[in-house]
Amino acid sequence: MIARAEVWLGTLVEIALPDADASDACFAAAFEAIAHVHQKMTAHDPASDLARIAREAHLRTIVVDAHTHAVLELALMLARETQGAFDPTVAAAPERVGGASTSMHDSRAAGAFAASIILERNHRVRTTAPLALDLGGIAKGYAVDRAVAALVASGAGGGVVNAGGDLRAFGTAGWMPVRIRHPADPALAAHVFDIRDTAAATSADYFRLGGALLDPRLNALRMFGASVTVVAPSCALADALTKVVAVDPAHAPETLARHRAHAFRLEPSDNAVRATATCAASTSHLRFAA
Amino acid sequence: MDPSWRIVPLAALAFAPASYATEYLTVEAAQRAAFPEASAFVPASLALDEDARAKLAAVARPPGARTPRVWRAMAREKQLGTFYADAVIGRQEYIGFALAVDTSGRVLRLDVLEYRETHGWEIRNERWRSQFVGKSATDPVEVSRDIANISGATLSCRHVTDGVRRLLALDAILARR
Repeated sequence: MIARAEVWLGTLVEIALPDADASDACFAAAFEAIAHVHQKMTAHDPASDLARIAREAHLRTIVVDAHTHAVLELALMLARETQGAFDPTVAAAPERVGGASTSMHDSRAAGAFAASIILERNHRVRTTAPLALDLGGIAKGYAVDRAVAALVASGAGGGVVNAGGDLRAFGTAGWMPVRIRHPADPALAAHVFDIRDTAAATSADYFRLGGALLDPRLNALRMFGASVTVVAPSCALADALTKVVAVDPAHAPETLARHRAHAFRLEPSDNAVRATATCAASTSHLRFAA
Repeated sequence: MDPSWRIVPLAALAFAPASYATEYLTVEAAQRAAFPEASAFVPASLALDEDARAKLAAVARPPGARTPRVWRAMAREKQLGTFYADAVIGRQEYIGFALAVDTSGRVLRLDVLEYRETHGWEIRNERWRSQFVGKSATDPVEVSRDIANISGATLSCRHVTDGVRRLLALDAILARR
């Protein structure tokens, strides 16, 4: 494998291709796809689709990039399916979206996202109230999916794309080991399973004081101690579903099963990995470490 | 426990240091990619006076930043631009990067050269360091293949941005812009 890395989406995005596929053109096409998602879905650039939605979409219908629309559709579907356990609205951390005002902060209530965003045909978006979104994780996963699509279109037979732990392996890359950080000590990692032709993402709160995950229904950051890893057919889905599991572990298995996804929780208290009961020890896309 | 969750029958959950290093590009390969038409890369020395040092420190001082290496990219007698190789520490990771700048001080290209997981922790965290005591080359300190697919915890590359800002300030000083 030959690897390249670039800095996008606030993280290190690493692409590894088998030697035979590792052409400059393949790497360039994949990073181009990631750069596009970054530019449209960053919360920090006033010209991004997210900033435009926050500024204008409650005043008039706006046209966004096709990929932004696709991510919003996925987010809305998950928000509805999970009764708000998934919600990309910025609340406790409104400073993460440039120019977000306190009125947006206040506008948020349980289910605010699904209730206030209206997605129309031809990539049009409007909102019923000022809406500050942070697509952070789901957009990162989506960027990984786009990079894989770009690699396939450029003729790569296989590879691995890893955007700060949101990763996807395809084709001739074959089985790739996935190591998961220890929830209480991120300098350590354990090999838990291998994946093939599928995606994985992990959420945890190692590096943020006060918790990394927002419970949309409590509107508060929560520390949950464990880490959650989801294996799903797409990386956008895998990342989004980690939040669903962290916020609502009791109801999450139903949502996971609907999307052919499996979840793993690492519990530092007993050093055990818990998986959704529907997850077999070996499938064509996932196998537990020996 | 909820019946929809079960404990995975792993033989043992073996946590090992998430330590690995990947080199993406050599300095030479990054130089060629940034200035394909260059005929030579001439190392330049960084003789900064107190004034220049203070100016740089005021712009940004990302953790781990050292004295960058500098080359002038030349096409025969003509300077095409300047090539910098530098490194910063992110949250816990060491990132070597290269910045190519044209003669007017504009960024031509940014390349990540090298990434070393947990380098920062290695420095700060005594417990982390002590677990290497007694390890030898025969120990499986690195578990994965070429690429360590470690899932979890978004890295922060904010310090790369700081590092680029610092190099651009340095470039302006060197060119007396």
